[in-house]
Amino acid sequence: MAALVLPAGLLVTLLLVAPMLLLFRISLNEYSPTEMMVEATTAANYLRAVADPYYRSVLGTTLAVATGSTLLALVLGFPAAYWLARMQGRWKSLATILVLFPLLVGNVVRAAGWLALLGNGGAINAALLGLGLVAAPLPLLYNTGAVVAGIVAVVLPYMVLTLSAIIESIPRQTEEAASNLGARPMTVFRRVVLPLALPGVAAGSVLVFVLCMNTYASAVLLGGPRFKMMAPAVYDQFVRGNNWPFGAALAFILLGITLVLTVAGSAVLGRRYRRRETEERA
Amino acid sequence: MGELVLDALGKRFGASVAVERVDLEVPQGQMVALLGPSGCGKTTTLRMVAGFVPPSAGRVLIAGKDVTRAPPHARDTGMVFQSYALFPHMSVAENVAFGLEMRRVGRADRDARTREALRLVRLEGLEDRLPRQLSGGQQQRVALARALVVNPAVFLLDEPLSNLDAKLRGEVRMEIRALQQRLGLTTLIVTHDQEEALTMADRLVVMERGRVRQVGTAEDLYERPADPFVAGFVGRCNLLEGALEAPGRFRAAGGEVLPCAAGPAPGGRSVLALRPEHIRIAPSTDGPARLRAATYLGAQTEYHAELGGTPLVVVRPTPGAEDPLRRILPGDAVSLSWDPSAARLLPAAPHDERGA
Amino acid sequence: MSITRRSAMAAAAIAAASAGLPRPVRAQAKQVVVGTWGGDYGELLRQNIDAPLMGPQGIEVLQDVANADPRKTKMLAERQARRGTFDVSCLSDTDMQMMAQQNTLETIDFGRLSRAGSIVPALRKPYAVPHIYSALVLLYNPDKVTTPPTSFADMWDPKYRGRVGFSDILYSTNTFAAAMAGGGSFSDYGPAKAKLMELRSLDAKIFPSNEALAAALKGEEVWMTPMWLARGYMWQKAGIPLRHVVPKEGAYAILFEAAVPRNSRNKDNAYAYLDAMLKPEAQTAFADRMGYLPTVTDATLPPEIARAISLSEADQARLRAPDYDYLLRAHSEVLDFWNKQFKG
Repeated sequence: MAALVLPAGLLVTLLLVAPMLLLFRISLNEYSPTEMMVEATTAANYLRAVADPYYRSVLGTTLAVATGSTLLALVLGFPAAYWLARMQGRWKSLATILVLFPLLVGNVVRAAGWLALLGNGGAINAALLGLGLVAAPLPLLYNTGAVVAGIVAVVLPYMVLTLSAIIESIPRQTEEAASNLGARPMTVFRRVVLPLALPGVAAGSVLVFVLCMNTYASAVLLGGPRFKMMAPAVYDQFVRGNNWPFGAALAFILLGITLVLTVAGSAVLGRRYRRRETEERA
Repeated sequence: MGELVLDALGKRFGASVAVERVDLEVPQGQMVALLGPSGCGKTTTLRMVAGFVPPSAGRVLIAGKDVTRAPPHARDTGMVFQSYALFPHMSVAENVAFGLEMRRVGRADRDARTREALRLVRLEGLEDRLPRQLSGGQQQRVALARALVVNPAVFLLDEPLSNLDAKLRGEVRMEIRALQQRLGLTTLIVTHDQEEALTMADRLVVMERGRVRQVGTAEDLYERPADPFVAGFVGRCNLLEGALEAPGRFRAAGGEVLPCAAGPAPGGRSVLALRPEHIRIAPSTDGPARLRAATYLGAQTEYHAELGGTPLVVVRPTPGAEDPLRRILPGDAVSLSWDPSAARLLPAAPHDERGA
Repeated sequence: MSITRRSAMAAAAIAAASAGLPRPVRAQAKQVVVGTWGGDYGELLRQNIDAPLMGPQGIEVLQDVANADPRKTKMLAERQARRGTFDVSCLSDTDMQMMAQQNTLETIDFGRLSRAGSIVPALRKPYAVPHIYSALVLLYNPDKVTTPPTSFADMWDPKYRGRVGFSDILYSTNTFAAAMAGGGSFSDYGPAKAKLMELRSLDAKIFPSNEALAAALKGEEVWMTPMWLARGYMWQKAGIPLRHVVPKEGAYAILFEAAVPRNSRNKDNAYAYLDAMLKPEAQTAFADRMGYLPTVTDATLPPEIARAISLSEADQARLRAPDYDYLLRAHSEVLDFWNKQFKG
């Protein structure tokens, strides 16, 4: 067993940790327009990113979009997950495949789909213009709403699958018992289904939040040139600006903040769930 | 509290019929058992009463009110589920108080009634435990208290004992019955265990493949089964196919002529039902029957005999040491006899239909 | 059962792994890896060079398709590596200058190119061969902009509020246009800052790609943009109502070049490829389809194409080469200003 685990472990370490260490080393270097990168050990890149109001606002946008998208995915995903979890027989496998289906299509292709839908010459505007409902195309693209729509479409399958796994573990009879005792459907949801689904809500939200924080394609293609999130800003520094040290520093700031928030978030949700068990031990 | 009436209640799932047509009255304070093998429609019937399954036909009336279209939460039934379905994230007290909370009972009253219900099921002191910290029997009693505390018009029990071990089952059976009688609860219980139904219920409803076969007291069903299915399902029974030759004379398919109750006019195929304990058995030198096997069961002994080509099971109190019956061996000739009135003639038709 | 499946998976894993490896076995065959843009450019290379000119020499051409920025990053990242990805790298003159500065390019041995003598002398560089070129112009919609503009400064006319469009990827060129309109020069983009902010308050539109800009021009959402003449020619052919002018402030030519990275693994084949790029018939195809001018003296254009894409003497007089050194130094600041201030 160990003979199998050890090489695999080393490979994973090599593949996951080594690039991170390298990236971190780069983030301490200095940028030079002619030399590209000068070996150094400086926190200047981090300080510059933190001090610059532009990057603070990019980070703010990223946090707001990620939080909003996660909440929207949760609100939209819960009913779908519930419906999926309570389905029976062969329809259930069909519906599961349907939920998984969008994952087979890359993010970029899906964003292209939104372009075709929301663009000035896109399906919605063509329909509105054709019906004479509007005189000029509505600006549906290149705004926060379009980005959030694009992101939610990308992350929704993850949310639905995570939630439906936990909802499936809640026996149907537990809900029936509650309604038998006089609870209306919303009360059954609030008092029974939601509390029991909390671990899934936490897992799904953390997973989706991390994906949202690292949004690239949706932000670039649907947000347009003026819309900035962290991942495209990192790409800009690496690829357009050739400023690898600063790009690496931005990447680590994004990583650090995502890490802190997900750990804090799951701790809060987890505490609500685990309060019981602590009482139990006491 | 009030009476429960099922009026021509039926349920179809697509083309298949789960419940054909059930007419039933459970008077105030009575306990009625729905009894039958799995898939007979008894659970579907109970779920239609609780409101979890919408009926395809007929009506459900609770205390005179038509609740056929009412959602489960508006029906005032208290149900104990086979799996107990306790809320795993709530303490014992919170589980029991849930129904009261839904009925907006004030806190003081709620606490008092919760305490009282837990006292009733002998769970005082476990209020703050979580369901998973309780034994199966304790969980079962929490489920009972949770359903009882709201004082439901109708008490519903779905195989409440099937998850308990055999020893506990007997105890809890008596406890539930005692509670039900003390509180005067109008109760519908679903079970596949005839002993459970016979010991607990005032009346039994035997169901098979979505149909009600017979409704009656335990004695009715045992002594006067309406058809071979009921005779075979409630207690053990020798069921012999054949036809009534003349009043009091039944010719079995094997050719033997057997004495039986007077019965209807002769002719037509029918089934003779003969309880094993109603047959007398004695050693015989030239008896028409032969013993195939004898099984000693303590107080009783079970004999497998063959009369011509017809196998018959006989159950008698184990004979005393001096009794010659004690010494018979397989292969010996025996004589079998019974009171003709104990051999009941039943219509063959339902049995045939089942074979179809 | 499980053994069969495991071995099948192992086989799949090996297949997947070897697909990602450099091609040690296939490298025996004659190959050349060309880093290029996709789209029309890549396709024209395939149709007019790869198949008709390289094929008969027994050299297989593998295109590594990406935008210029990621390919530049790749070359920089591989700078220290003994064996690089590309044998031939296609970039614009500014990008190529930057790559040369970073010491990633081979000095061209023109003696190895049979076509070296036909190159337009002014376009010749030590580190690259010119492939095609075009001029920076101001494109406008003649139906909407009824007084033909003559300068970049005309974009600031309040009449055209909200009707000036920029392609985001041409941030450097757009900044140059603003600098010239504000009295700057090829070596001083400073005045661009104030001018761009002025244009921002005049509600200038920014599009994420050239294609998105073209769609907006076609829909007459915007009427004016600084762009390569060749693009204007293509868009005109696609039915977009456009005219062009070489602004009187002066503009530069954009030159698309090809070079051989120092760590190319097939230098002989790379030279053969550069030579093929300079063949007149290959150059003419680019002019016909994309509107770019040939970089060799002996390529002849059909007269109507020549009329559409060639520049008058007066226009040519206003064209100059960019100040590559200045661009290299200012690049990061230009990008920062464009992202943070103008777009922010």
